Amino acid sequence: MDTVDDAYLVRRARDGFLDAYEELVARHAARAYRVALRMLGNHHDAEDVTQEALIAAWQALPAFRSDAAFSTWLYRIVTTRSLNRINRTRTAFPLDAQPEPAARNGGPPEQVERSAAADAVARAITTLPGPQRVALVLYQFEDLSYADIAEVTGTSVPAVRSHLHRARRTLASLLQDWR
Amino acid sequence: MTAGTPQTTPPDGPLDLTQRQVPCGIDVDNLLEQVAEGRAAERDEHQTHCPHCQAALIELADVWAPVRQLAEQPVTTPTGILAAVMRHIDRLTHDMWYTLRQADAGAIKVAARVIAIIARQAALRVPGVRIAFGRSTATARAAEADTRQHRHPHAAAGVMGGTAVVDLALTVTHGQSIDHLARQVQRRVIADLRDTLDLQHVTVNITVDDVLPPPTGDREERRGRGSSSTRRRT
Repeated sequence: MDTVDDAYLVRRARDGFLDAYEELVARHAARAYRVALRMLGNHHDAEDVTQEALIAAWQALPAFRSDAAFSTWLYRIVTTRSLNRINRTRTAFPLDAQPEPAARNGGPPEQVERSAAADAVARAITTLPGPQRVALVLYQFEDLSYADIAEVTGTSVPAVRSHLHRARRTLASLLQDWR
Repeated sequence: MTAGTPQTTPPDGPLDLTQRQVPCGIDVDNLLEQVAEGRAAERDEHQTHCPHCQAALIELADVWAPVRQLAEQPVTTPTGILAAVMRHIDRLTHDMWYTLRQADAGAIKVAARVIAIIARQAALRVPGVRIAFGRSTATARAAEADTRQHRHPHAAAGVMGGTAVVDLALTVTHGQSIDHLARQVQRRVIADLRDTLDLQHVTVNITVDDVLPPPTGDREERRGRGSSSTRRRT
């Protein structure tokens, strides 16, 4: 089948063509999950939040502005729900919120070292305050521009830049100590 | 802040990240941004001669390397997400089912979405149909109610016995009789639903909402219509 753009799929999904929404989910689930994983630091919560976000997006389709990108809108839903999950988890389990380490396949010592370093980064990201975490994840892992992040977060480019500066400095300090 | 004349004294010890600037007056944040953007090796005139900036860039690139490694690590999406989401949405659309038969051995029911999928696949097998999306009218009405949309007030609900009402939205190849093509699609969908589900009374409403030039084998055309929803840095 030929490909169509997201806007067409959104219009069709709004009309009740569930297969059009299924196509949107197939197209965007991976990036939604990736963001949730970096935000939350563990696979279980990331999967939950991704599912919640994709269902919430379907329910909110009538409110979706057709001049916006579906991906931007979905990023907003995923990051907001991730932050909500973080807040709930902090309240319920203040001492247990440890992220899962990434799966390792063994291999040469340098590879294990690199994997441990990547785990340290994933853990360090989960210690960042919410707005910094969102900015860092979207910029560093999703390649979004400052302007795109500002659109996702409903803030300004200078605010995004400020969050990123603080996030990077905190992360660099933690990684400097970790080495 | 404008950087002063580069000092020739080499920095002593690791970079102090609690300081706002390196000794030459350059902001650490700017150096870190340069590193995070993968531009550590792109040094400006000042950095070419400044041992503080050079040392800071080297150290920050080293510190930041695991972040770049993590960004390059592929993330495997759990395979069940798509199915779980669509199952949930099916439930939200009130679990529409077609009861095909009430036999002594028990009822035979098929989800309304299955009807739409069969119809869609049947339509896609007709030459000239490029894109197809299908819905059973019953599901559409439930979906519209759930999302507070009422775009099809005259659509009939088709959840009964061996009767089905299916809507198809098609994009077809330009340059052929759309009427002829639509009739072919109707015949194919009706035949498939009869063969697979024994549905005897099927209504197939077709909306052709776009046309495409004939395929040339050149994928440029497809790329031109494809999604570009990920915005890259500008």
